[in-house]
Amino acid sequence: MRRVYTPPMSAFLECGPFSASDGEGRVLFDGVSVSLEAGQCVGIEGPSGSGKSTLLRHVAALAWSPDATRQLDGHSFRGAELPAWRSRVSLVAQDAPMVIGTVRENLSFPFTQRAGRERKFDDVRAAAMMTQVGLEKLPFDREVRTLSGGERHRLALVRALLWNPMVVVADEPMSGLDPGIAEVCFDLLLQFGRRPGRLLVCVLHDPRMNTRTDRHLRLAHGQLKATA
Amino acid sequence: MSHFIELGPQQLVIATVLIVAAGVVSMVLRLGVERRLGIAALRTVIQLGLLGLILEQIFALENPLLVVCLLLLMTVFAAREAVTRASRGYRGILVDAWLTMAATCFVVGGVVTQVVVGVEPWYDPQYVIPLLGMILGNSLTGISLCLDRFMDHLEVRSAEVELRIAFGATRHEALAAPLRDAVRTGMIPIINSMAAAGIVSLPGMMTGQILAGSPPLQAVAYQIVVMFMIAAAVALGAMLVVVLAGRHFMGVDATLRLDRMTAKKN
Repeated sequence: MRRVYTPPMSAFLECGPFSASDGEGRVLFDGVSVSLEAGQCVGIEGPSGSGKSTLLRHVAALAWSPDATRQLDGHSFRGAELPAWRSRVSLVAQDAPMVIGTVRENLSFPFTQRAGRERKFDDVRAAAMMTQVGLEKLPFDREVRTLSGGERHRLALVRALLWNPMVVVADEPMSGLDPGIAEVCFDLLLQFGRRPGRLLVCVLHDPRMNTRTDRHLRLAHGQLKATA
Repeated sequence: MSHFIELGPQQLVIATVLIVAAGVVSMVLRLGVERRLGIAALRTVIQLGLLGLILEQIFALENPLLVVCLLLLMTVFAAREAVTRASRGYRGILVDAWLTMAATCFVVGGVVTQVVVGVEPWYDPQYVIPLLGMILGNSLTGISLCLDRFMDHLEVRSAEVELRIAFGATRHEALAAPLRDAVRTGMIPIINSMAAAGIVSLPGMMTGQILAGSPPLQAVAYQIVVMFMIAAAVALGAMLVVVLAGRHFMGVDATLRLDRMTAKKN
C-alpha cells in the first residue's frame, strides 16, 4: 500500500471538497470540505434534508466523490487506498445495518477482513462492552434478525468501538434508545473521541446531546459552518 | 442411427390440431391466451423452419468458417436474451453477457467436442452446433438468473454490502457475498434437472436420440456428458459474468456505485 507522507502542518482529518444533490437533482451542498483536529467530539447539526447523512457518507468515503482528497494524520488516501481509509474512518450508519448471521459474526467480521487481519477479536473486551451498553444478556450466538431496533443500534456502536478506528463517524447512533441507555452510549462515544489520536464526528437527533460535544458544525443551505 | 419414422408436411398439419385444441380450451375458459398462443406457435414454426433450412445448408457445405460464424451469431442472440430476462441492467451489460457466453461456450464446448466426443473434423456441424446450442440455451438461463440475483443483492442488501465496506472491505471482500449468492442462484436449475434426470423427467436430448433410433445406453451416455457440460458452463459463466458485472458497480476503491444500475425499460 502506497501512502504519501506529508508534514503534519495540516489538521488531523482533512477531506473534501464534497458535492452532492438529492434524488430530484436539488443541490445539497457544493464544494464542502471538512478539517478537524484530533481528540475531540464534533457534532453536526442542520435542518432535516440538508444532507447531513450524505456528508457523513462522503467523509467515510462510501459516497462517490472522485474530486475529493483525503488526509488523516498526515497520510493521503486515494483510489485503491480508500479501503484503508475506511478502516480508519468508520461509519456507524443511521439504521444500524447488520450482516446476516449471529451477534458474534456481526461484532467480529471487521477482524476477518484484510484490513483487520493483523488484529484479533477480543471476546472478553466485547463481552465487557456489551455489558456497558446493557446487552449483557444477549448471547453471542443469537441471530441478529431477531434483535430489536434498540439492540441493533447498541450492537452497531459496540462493533465500531471494538474495531477502534482513528475516527468514528456516527449518524444518529442513539436514535430509538431509552434516554438512560442513550446517555451511557453517548458517554462511551465521547470518551472515544476525546482520546489522543481519535476523533468523533456525529449527527445527533437530540439537540440536548449536541450541547455536550466539543465543537459544533451546522450544515444549512449547502454550507458547513462552525457555530458557537 | 438405425431407423426413424420420417415426418412430412401432412404429419405437421395433423399436429396443428393439437395447438388448435389448446386454443379452443383458452377460448372456452376465456383465458385470453389464444392470441399469444397463436403467435408463439407461428414463431415456433418460422424460427425452427429457418433454423432447419440454415442447418441443412451448413451441414451440406461443411465449411468451418460458416460453422464458427453461426456459433458466434448464436452467442449474440443468447446474450441478448439473457440481458432481456434480467430485471435490472447497466451500461455494457450486453457486452459482458456476450463475452461470458462466448468464453464459456468455447471453453466448455471445446473440451466436450474436441476431447470428450472427439469430433472429426473438429467443426463437424452435426455435433458442434447442437452441443454448443445446448450449452448456450442452458447457460443463458443460468447467466440471466445469476445477473439478476447479483444486481438484486447489491440493491436490496446494499446496506449490508456497505457495512463491510465501511470497515475497510476490499472490492473482493465486499463482493464475495453477492457473488456467492448469485452463482448459487444461477446454478439451481441445472442442479435440479440433474437431480431429477431419469426419474422425474426424460431429458429432451436423450428423448430425441432415442426417437432417432439410437440405442438407449448411447443416448444416456450423451445425456450425461451434456448435463456435466451444462453444469460446468453455468458455473463458469455465472462466475465470469458476475466478476465482469462487479467491475461496473465497484472499482478498486471499493465504492458501491448503485447509480450505475438501471431499471428495465419496460
